[in-house]
Amino acid sequence: MNRKSLINLISVSLSVIVTLLIIFILLLILNKDPFLIFSKIFSEVFADGYGIGQTLFKATPLIFVSCGLAVCFHASIFNIGAEGQLNAGAFVTALVALKLDFLPFPLLITVSLICGFIISGIFGLIPAYIKIKKDVSEVITTIMMNFIILALVNFFLLDFFAVKSTMRTEKISANFMFLKMEDVIPFFQGSSLNISFLLALLLAFLMYMFIYKTGFGYKLRSVGFNEIASRYLGIRTNAVIMISFFIGAGITSLAGMNYIFGYKGFYEFGFSNNIGFTAIAVTLLARNNPIGIIFSSLLFAVLDYGGLSVNQLVPKELMLVVQGIIILSLLAVDKLVNNYFRGKIVS
Amino acid sequence: MKAVEFIEVTRKFGNFKANDEISFDIKSNDVHCILGENGAGKSTLMNILFGIIKKDSGKMKIFGEEKDFKSPLDAIKNGIGMVHQHFMLIEDFTVLENVILGNEITLKTGIDFKRSELILNELVEKYSLGLDVNARISELSIGQQQKVEILKLLFRESDILIFDEPTAVLSPVETDRFFKIIGTFKNDGKTIIFITHKLNEVKYISDRVSVLRKGKLVYESDNADKDLNIPELSRAIVGELSEISNPVKRAAEINTSDAVVLENINLVLNELNVLNGLDLKLKKGEIHGICGVEGNGQSGIVDVIYGIEKNFTGSFKKYIEGGISLVPDDRKRKGFIKEYNIGENISLKGKNLNYLPEKRINEISGKIISENDIRVSDIESPMGDLSGGNQQKVIFARESDSENYVIVLVHPTRGVDINASAFIHGRILKLRNEGKAVLVISSDLDELILLSDRLSVLYKGKILKTFARKDFSGYIKEENEVELTADPDFLQSIGKLMTGITDE
Ligand SMILES: Nc1ncnc2c1ncn2[C@@H]1O[C@H](COP(=O)(O)OP(=O)(O)OP(=O)(O)O)[C@@H](O)[C@H]1O
Ligand SMILES: [Mg+2]
Repeated sequence: MNRKSLINLISVSLSVIVTLLIIFILLLILNKDPFLIFSKIFSEVFADGYGIGQTLFKATPLIFVSCGLAVCFHASIFNIGAEGQLNAGAFVTALVALKLDFLPFPLLITVSLICGFIISGIFGLIPAYIKIKKDVSEVITTIMMNFIILALVNFFLLDFFAVKSTMRTEKISANFMFLKMEDVIPFFQGSSLNISFLLALLLAFLMYMFIYKTGFGYKLRSVGFNEIASRYLGIRTNAVIMISFFIGAGITSLAGMNYIFGYKGFYEFGFSNNIGFTAIAVTLLARNNPIGIIFSSLLFAVLDYGGLSVNQLVPKELMLVVQGIIILSLLAVDKLVNNYFRGKIVS
Repeated sequence: MKAVEFIEVTRKFGNFKANDEISFDIKSNDVHCILGENGAGKSTLMNILFGIIKKDSGKMKIFGEEKDFKSPLDAIKNGIGMVHQHFMLIEDFTVLENVILGNEITLKTGIDFKRSELILNELVEKYSLGLDVNARISELSIGQQQKVEILKLLFRESDILIFDEPTAVLSPVETDRFFKIIGTFKNDGKTIIFITHKLNEVKYISDRVSVLRKGKLVYESDNADKDLNIPELSRAIVGELSEISNPVKRAAEINTSDAVVLENINLVLNELNVLNGLDLKLKKGEIHGICGVEGNGQSGIVDVIYGIEKNFTGSFKKYIEGGISLVPDDRKRKGFIKEYNIGENISLKGKNLNYLPEKRINEISGKIISENDIRVSDIESPMGDLSGGNQQKVIFARESDSENYVIVLVHPTRGVDINASAFIHGRILKLRNEGKAVLVISSDLDELILLSDRLSVLYKGKILKTFARKDFSGYIKEENEVELTADPDFLQSIGKLMTGITDE
């Protein structure tokens, strides 16, 4: 491990610790017993295979979406539109799977995921194009696109595809459902954990290789660091931005895989439960590193799932507070740690 | 009185001592020059004085009082001002906004722009800076941006002024003007600290010099009577005199054919005529020099040839296959990715970039470092941690070491020391002798006269006149020497042309 990754690791760990301390104090102020609450969260998650399985299940879509965002963030594209992008992709994935149910299993999965990927990707290309042609910040366009996409999905779903008086599509045939982990490892008895989780791990690894170990990854990060210099270095920066936005947005569609093929068998409006936004925090905490994303997704999943158990004791919004504080303390701690190691105030 | 005292100041980066127990004084109201090779530790020491970097040990006294600045703000409050090697300006702000930033004159209702503007205009007048205080930084040339930095110091009424290589990109005329400003500062009782690699400037302007080598103070001399011993000084800077064993000679003129031809090029950017019917011909086996005051279309020419700028009219023809090499004017903005290390920056420019394992990257870095005598504390340091001159050496090495037959060099020796400068000049001649078409755009007339086969004067986006080498080579006292002095008459006529006076 080189110096820089070490410094990153230190600052990320410190910020998690700082966050826990702040929450600890906050709970004391609220006159709650922090020990009780933390121990409840942990026992909920780690008491049995079911808890662990559910936590990994919750981490799965976070890993997918964050990996997509990591590609964007490395290229200095601040994509806030994952929530919309992933819904469009997941919706189309489910529709294609329903229509092409005559295909054999592996082909059906592949084709429907690719279609979802392309749709999400296209919704990434739109803000990319506006950014390049009109110099409009993607932060604004992607936020606005969220509303547009969600409204569109809602409209098509309700008017054409939904099962009566629900917000979901038909169910795909049970033959097309993924293997549940509990069928292989009885330890996870009862949990929804499925092989999507393993695919998420695989994707994180592949994205790590893609970003750090390929020529395109080099160019992508170089554009993120300094777009002007990249152009003078002969990199076609606009192409890099378009491709990164397409790939990044496309990957977010995979969040649907866990839900559709691994869990329910259909697309349901609202299934994403703001993963698209939580993933921003997850990705930032991981410093855009896909391997780090695995760990920060797990952390957020622990808070999410374990948080359920303390619903009676503290408001569930506390978990949102935790997310916010993690990001803030990361920013603060990062600056301090870097200054400490470099001895520089500006660089 | 002593304005600044350094007492055993030490600063390490990892195990590398950038400043090693440096002790010397800077007298009040002196012009004090600090000299040394690239990577000697000059900028580091000044950054310590200005509170940007913390020292590991040692003491620093300002006007007799011990100080340890926590931040530049701290230093500014203590009357210290600095113009950095790389300017620190906000591109989208106007001159006025940049200057008052952090030091605003406020009314109850907000910033008092009116009064600030009045004060700034007074200062611009007094020091003949010739700046429009409402211009946006992104529209200004490097020379003008430097004046904005100077204006900042004036506005803050700093007493101790630090200039890190201020003359590196200035044309002779601008340098003269700059020295006049320095003279006014001295009359006003200010103390000036001045880093440069140009020894003739040192002799002319300084009262005292200090030389650093490998982080240590190695030489000091008084120059109050302008009687500096230049040979002794050069020896102090480089250590043992490293003779250039085999100076590259200019080969006899080879068969020159057209490589790149620009005809009647017009370029308008932000409603400004950058290029105005420009004609320019680059030939194989020829060095074409361009001189001119910064901001007369230099970057326009580069962007058109290099293909960055496509919205021009006129004809642009390239007769040679292959890419174009470029050493850009603003190395920090256009030349490299500061987060990447040397080897990564080199391979990034490769045509079909594939991932290279760390070991291979380090091999590339190692090769560049040893072949070009680049001084780094750590082979894996990001480029941003290299000293300015060493960054320049890396970029030049990358661009000159390629298959490309068209080579565009802007300020090729910006900020590099005497030895490296001679080395780079040798390499440029070698490129020419190999039959490549070389364009050199520089503010350093001596450099252009030394190198050019043809020398054009650029004024307001147009070539005013092109000299053939025989027009001026007669004036050169010693051809193929590192030090050379051109005929003053010729210099004067070129100087006139550069300001648009054509005699006819
Ligand atoms: N932040 C940093 N991290 C690691 N090494 C550094 C850092 N800053 C400077 N150095 C190293 O310290 C040495 C001195 O650098 P410095 O910038 O002071 O040189 P300099 O004398 O100003 O050179 P130049 O004439 O090229 O500007 C260089 O070898 C440089 O690589
Ligand atoms: Mg320097």
